[in-house]
Amino acid sequence: MIKTRTWIILFAALLAAAALFWWLLGRRSADGTTVQIIHDGQVIREIDLAGVKEAYEFAWEDAAGNRNLIRVEPGRIRVTEANCPDRICVEHGWLSRELPPIVCLPHRLMIQWKEAAP
Amino acid sequence: MSSDPKNRISLPLRLTTDAMLTALALGIWFLEAQLPPLVPVPGIKLGLSNIVTLFALFRLGPADAAAVLLTRVLLASLFGGQAVSLLFSLCGGLLAFLVMWPARRIVTDRQIWVAGILGALAHNTGQILAARLIIGQSAIFAYLPVLAVSGILTGLFTGICAQEAVRRLRFPPRFS
Repeated sequence: MIKTRTWIILFAALLAAAALFWWLLGRRSADGTTVQIIHDGQVIREIDLAGVKEAYEFAWEDAAGNRNLIRVEPGRIRVTEANCPDRICVEHGWLSRELPPIVCLPHRLMIQWKEAAP
Repeated sequence: MSSDPKNRISLPLRLTTDAMLTALALGIWFLEAQLPPLVPVPGIKLGLSNIVTLFALFRLGPADAAAVLLTRVLLASLFGGQAVSLLFSLCGGLLAFLVMWPARRIVTDRQIWVAGILGALAHNTGQILAARLIIGQSAIFAYLPVLAVSGILTGLFTGICAQEAVRRLRFPPRFS
């Protein structure tokens, strides 16, 4: 049997490592201002949020009628409406640098920060 | 190591207990779905119904735990009504079970929380893998550290709940 103390140390180390990775991933995208909208693994649109002067909305729609309404404001982007069943993408709110990308799994749609060129 | 009481109880009692646990897990799952999200990150939840799976695993055995888990997942997505969520729950639930089952052999009755954490981590990994398949983008793995942190915390909580349930509840139950 493994001692309880060993388990605690193991999970504490894993927790620290995961938190560190989380922080590093957030830092990596920290300087870019361009976001990518990706459908089915393909980049379908790129927007430089720093270049947005006025807020606008546009709809993404595929042949099957799957639809997401995307709102772009100076410096930020979010999904405001979707006809997917779970609406997790809408509840996600604005795309943040600390949290993972906005994902609409039922529509295979994703909004993420573009990684800065090395 | 937990004792294996499944040989001590009659088949009807075992079946009844499994059915009762499934109903309990389904009720807990439904209640949890009504709660507001814990944190504003999609995909993070307590996973309270895993308490029931852990209880079944440690008190009854792997076959009973698998039956309770599968039935709960199928019924839950039937009520929830989404094919996508069925795929997700299945991937997460099955991977969690495949990790917790052998974990049962290496933890004591006072370390059930360890199985809880391992199960939660496996569950989250399974869901990420399913999401990777659906979305076709490796960037989805950016969720991994977030889900590892949440898996350790939520797994610890549900694991402790299961441990206390196993310790306190009289078993086999007496229906009188």
